[in-house]
Amino acid sequence: MIRFSAVTKRYPTGYEALRDVTLEVGAGELVVVTGHSGAGKSTLLKLASGIERATRGSVVVNGQNLSTLGETALAILRRHVGFVFQDHKLLFDRPAGENVALPLRIAGAGAEETGRRVRAALDKVGLLDREKAMPITLSGGEQQRLCIARAIVNRPAILVADEPTGNLDAEAARAIVDLFLSFHRVGVTVLLSTHDESSLLHLGGRRVALRAGQLAAPAESAA
Amino acid sequence: MTAWIRLHRLGLADAARRLAAQPLASLFAAAAIAVAVALPVLAFTLVGSVARAVLGFDTDPHVNVFLALDATDEDVRRVEAALRAHPEAASVRFVPREKALAELKATSHLADLLANLDRNPLPHAFSIRTRSSDPAALAAARAAWEKLPKVDQVSAEFEWADKISRWAAFARRALAGFAGVLGAAVLFIVGHLIRLQVVTMRDEIEVSQLIGATAADVRRPFLYHGLLQGLAAGAGAVGIATAVVAWLNSELSALTSSYVSDFKILYLDAPTAAAVVAGVALLGVVGAWLSVSRELRRFSEAG
Repeated sequence: MIRFSAVTKRYPTGYEALRDVTLEVGAGELVVVTGHSGAGKSTLLKLASGIERATRGSVVVNGQNLSTLGETALAILRRHVGFVFQDHKLLFDRPAGENVALPLRIAGAGAEETGRRVRAALDKVGLLDREKAMPITLSGGEQQRLCIARAIVNRPAILVADEPTGNLDAEAARAIVDLFLSFHRVGVTVLLSTHDESSLLHLGGRRVALRAGQLAAPAESAA
Repeated sequence: MTAWIRLHRLGLADAARRLAAQPLASLFAAAAIAVAVALPVLAFTLVGSVARAVLGFDTDPHVNVFLALDATDEDVRRVEAALRAHPEAASVRFVPREKALAELKATSHLADLLANLDRNPLPHAFSIRTRSSDPAALAAARAAWEKLPKVDQVSAEFEWADKISRWAAFARRALAGFAGVLGAAVLFIVGHLIRLQVVTMRDEIEVSQLIGATAADVRRPFLYHGLLQGLAAGAGAVGIATAVVAWLNSELSALTSSYVSDFKILYLDAPTAAAVVAGVALLGVVGAWLSVSRELRRFSEAG
């Protein structure tokens, strides 16, 4: 589903976030990328979802080599990868429902279909009763779930989440983990990152450790 | 395909909503553009009206062909045949020397003097209405007619018509330059307005791009914004120009009633008005495009 072949990412500042990373995530697989902050986790997720481009090496997502895609094709690929941002990236000038509707509006979905799918997504993350609420009135955990609802409203085959349990208390983190498990169970390919492996312990899945931009150890398989 | 139509409808609705959200700012911007556009439109109208009125006296300019005094009836027939055969001659009227004298006696104060003459000093003449008022065509016809046998003189106001049309052409060219400068001003005004919108919508644009909006998706509502602003401003410009022409004409009718002339400034005709509105709308779209593209580049640099 996602294949990194000798991928290096160097930012214009000269900072090398990833070096020579080779990694494969199979369809329907659940993979957790671990490492300290600054280890390159976020960069890896952004490359996997077409938000950024590799400097060297190739990233293939769903059979498409991202380095050969034009800007427009890359944008359209991003619609098929749900991304849960570390800082949520919610729009605070509109209610929760409108935030979730954004990907559908971009794709030009009809009003009826949009309403139906927005409510389905909100229901899935347990925020159906908050459709009209402004994001600022939501708790941290609720904002995180709203961001997840926006990521899944297009029913993507790949779900990528950057530190989805960061800054959340144990109970809220548990709820988020259960959500990702439920997506994994219905066949969605899930790629998560965390700097605090303990919060994702019961999630299971394969662990990939990054250290200073390189894969630290052979990925061990866990249930 | 339906998604495509929906995207455009959403873009249009988005733009309309944004314009309505700031009614005063939108109105002032449209008014500023309208005034800027109305100026060259009015100037073009004025130049066109003056050129047309001046040349209008001459729209079927007539040329007089005078024969020699010793021309016989046979000469007259030959010249008449030659004139009628010429493509530039729309109509040919023969003015016999006796009739010319009678007319001169009737219309001038020279009757007494003319009565004392023992013979008619006037030649036979032809009055010819030409098909075009194009100076070059007239000059060619004049040269041809001067060469006809027993033709003494050919007179027409060629140089006068030529000068007027040269001045009109010059004025139009100067105005085109002026319009170009003001068109650039329109681009800047629209571009600036759109840029302000883009800046206030930074977050939405950034998030949209992150979750799959293409550059075209981001641009679309802003292009409609520019289009609507341009349409409103173009319609405003046509309105201003029409109002000013109406006012000038009411002043003019008082001024010219003492003369024979009924000079009027022409109103914009429908195709011209449509062209003005379409032109300004296009400038709005181009201004929006330039502005959004610049901001998009900034985002990708920041990203």
